[in-house]
Amino acid sequence: MITLVHFQIVSAALFSIGLYGVMARRSAILILMSIELMLNAVNINLVAVASFLDPDRFAGIIITIFVITVAAAEVGLALAIVLRLFRNRATINVDNMDLMKW
Amino acid sequence: MGLMELAWIIPASSFFAFVGIIAFGRRIPFVSPMLSIGAIIVGCILVFVVVMGRIDADPTGIDFFSRKWFEVGGTELMLGMIIDPLSIVMLGLVCFVSLMVQVYSLSYMRHDPKLAWYYAIHALFAASMILVVLADNFLLFYVAWELVGLCSYLLIGFWWEKREPVEAAKKAFITTRIADVALLVGILLLFHEVGTFSMKETFYQAQLLGAGEVSELSSGTTMIATFLLFIGAMGKSAQIPFHVWLPDAMAGPTPVSALIHAATMVVAGVYLVARTFALFEAVPNVLLVVSIVGLVTSLLASTMALVNTDLKRILAYSTISHLGLMMLSLGAFGYTAAIFHLVAHGFSKALLFLGAGSVSHASNQTDIRKMGGFIKVMPITAITFGIGALSLGGIPIFAGFWSKDEILIAVFNHRNFLFLIGTLFVGFLSALYMARAFYLVFFGDLKNENKSVSESPILMTAPLILLAIPSLLFGFSVFGSDEGYGGIGRFIFFENAHDFHFNVLLGSISVILAVVAFGISKPLYITRKFDLNRIKKYFSGLIRICERGYYFDQVYEWFFDRIVLVSSRFIAWLDRAVVNDVGVNGPANSMGWTASKLRLHVTGKVYNYALVMVLGSMIIGSVWWIMVAG
Amino acid sequence: MTWLVFTVLSGIIVGGGLGVVTTRNVVHAALFLLVSLIGVAGFYVLLLSEFLAVVQIFIYVGAIVIVLLFGIMLTRSGEYPRIADNEQWPAAVLMGLGFFALLALALLTHPNLSDERNEINLSILGESLFTDWALPFEIASILLLIALVGAVVLAREDKKS
Repeated sequence: MITLVHFQIVSAALFSIGLYGVMARRSAILILMSIELMLNAVNINLVAVASFLDPDRFAGIIITIFVITVAAAEVGLALAIVLRLFRNRATINVDNMDLMKW
Repeated sequence: MGLMELAWIIPASSFFAFVGIIAFGRRIPFVSPMLSIGAIIVGCILVFVVVMGRIDADPTGIDFFSRKWFEVGGTELMLGMIIDPLSIVMLGLVCFVSLMVQVYSLSYMRHDPKLAWYYAIHALFAASMILVVLADNFLLFYVAWELVGLCSYLLIGFWWEKREPVEAAKKAFITTRIADVALLVGILLLFHEVGTFSMKETFYQAQLLGAGEVSELSSGTTMIATFLLFIGAMGKSAQIPFHVWLPDAMAGPTPVSALIHAATMVVAGVYLVARTFALFEAVPNVLLVVSIVGLVTSLLASTMALVNTDLKRILAYSTISHLGLMMLSLGAFGYTAAIFHLVAHGFSKALLFLGAGSVSHASNQTDIRKMGGFIKVMPITAITFGIGALSLGGIPIFAGFWSKDEILIAVFNHRNFLFLIGTLFVGFLSALYMARAFYLVFFGDLKNENKSVSESPILMTAPLILLAIPSLLFGFSVFGSDEGYGGIGRFIFFENAHDFHFNVLLGSISVILAVVAFGISKPLYITRKFDLNRIKKYFSGLIRICERGYYFDQVYEWFFDRIVLVSSRFIAWLDRAVVNDVGVNGPANSMGWTASKLRLHVTGKVYNYALVMVLGSMIIGSVWWIMVAG
Repeated sequence: MTWLVFTVLSGIIVGGGLGVVTTRNVVHAALFLLVSLIGVAGFYVLLLSEFLAVVQIFIYVGAIVIVLLFGIMLTRSGEYPRIADNEQWPAAVLMGLGFFALLALALLTHPNLSDERNEINLSILGESLFTDWALPFEIASILLLIALVGAVVLAREDKKS
């Protein structure tokens, strides 16, 4: 039988992949995509828990709806920021965004 | 009561004159003398008002007018005045001489481009000197005392374009500053014991101590503190070994010398001792020191005056000598005599300095060997100068005679025979050098290069005449009159009033000595009846020592060059190497070095931070899991 | 049958995710992301919440990936498809594996073996969204509005340039 823990393992794998993407990628857009992966991993987890353990209230599903909403907003804003960076610096390579030191 | 309280306006008006001159003097030149003289005239008028008030209340009483100034911790600092005969007499002297000198300066300094600045400092000096006299607590006194020193410094160095006045100003300032440190320490010691700066309270405690009752003052501390106060007084009053600054201070304008370095500021030290006499009386040992210092000072200074050839320097040494006499008198419990002599000397010496200024102004020189016969071309100066010289020499009926007599009586009553001999000898020398200066300048033949010399303008001679009057007549204030005035001994006294009494033996000895001194001067210096050179040959060594001022300057120079500077250099090295490099820069440098190494971890790259963040969360997660969940 | 679906979907999700983080081509990464997200939608169906699956397709696939592709276009990343990974990628691999290992260890130590999936009643979901969750719902709408305005402000051309 498929149990909750199966879904959770897949979720954990997806999350770790997203984490790796955030740590290893240079392009700001690729980093954004990795963040989306991590959000989806969380969503899987939430929906799975809601479905298996919380048959009456579905709090996990509602939170997932909010997460998707926020993710949409986040992508919109993040892309606006990336565009602004690109306009100012003609690159979206995060190597060049290193003013945050000394 | 009401009238006396107006005294605060006297220093205030001069101070506002100073402010006004600083503000407007540069743009409107004539406003500065007007303001300054106007302020001091207001002061003179108010002195009369205050005297009236004093007489109405109780002529010999003492009144304190204190207002709260500010409060530090539990200590209230007051701002106030003392009005008693001593401060009134000083007020009169300061205001009168200031007025005379400022009027005199109108003519003497009229071509000077810095006239406004000159009058500004004069006004400030008058304000602070009056404040010294009036101050009712030691803190205010010290502030005014330092202000006076500052004005002295500024006026000595008035012609700062030249090197000599600048050096002299520095010397005066630093020498008096050394003594002032002692004064400050003394004041703080007293404050520590009594718990207030108030003179009233301090004197009360001192009197308790003197009477052997329970007092906040301990005798040891009082002795040290009083001695320190006396060192401060020695600095300002140019007592040996602090006297070296006064002759050099003659580099300033002559009216300044008359006002500050003869009549007023230098007597601040004497005033300090007189003002704090209650303390001195509680510890009579210090008074012995005072009288010894005074006697030594006056002896050495009068010999130096005898051999000097610069008119202003002769007067400067004479000032030191007479300040020594005042100290000697105070040390011999001659309170009245000292103040009496202070005033008499103040008038006479201001007169002499202004006369010397008149002479040098007319002939552009101060060397008495190049002068002579000036009585023919400048009679008013000659006569007034003569009055001053006779007064200082102690010839009867002139002011100086009476005060010198008072001093002799005080010394005779309270000190031993040696002091009396010394005092008489000083009196003789004093008459001798005054006679020498007077004769060499005004008698003999008029030299060719001095043919063009003429009498000074009225603005300069008028103050001379006005000063000659008190020099001539002030001495008669020793006698009482029937209308309630009992003579100076019944006006200015410490604890017990006394009438003037004339010791016939002492009086006649001193008169004879003075007359002899004046008598032998003429054949000695003018008509050359005696061969001066042969006498000089006998005492060539002694004269050399006197001319060099007993090598005080040389000893100080050696001390500063060899000891002070060397140790200063060592301390400077210590400061640079240890305090600065190790102590101050050390922590800063090590911080900088550490930071320069540490900052390498701050790459500014977002993914580095993300990596570390993940690592951190993993560590936290594992720890939580092992510790809590596991 | 369910097992088969689950395995295939897991493969799609994880494979798509790996594709996103390994490919050098930005456009390919976006397409891999699309694949992975569709797999997640499949998971939602498997978890008996079809509504969420639809939402997932609409918003993620229909909006977010499209916006990302717009971003790639506007920043001309498509013209330089090959942006290498940064120099710390080996450490990142270790970190990712370590994180996964930690999570898996945690999950498998006391595995939750519930196996009863519950269907979600859409009407109850809707009712609860507009009653119990009304305030967060409104806040979320405000957040969206703010994000919209912020994005416009950030992205528009400067007037002077």
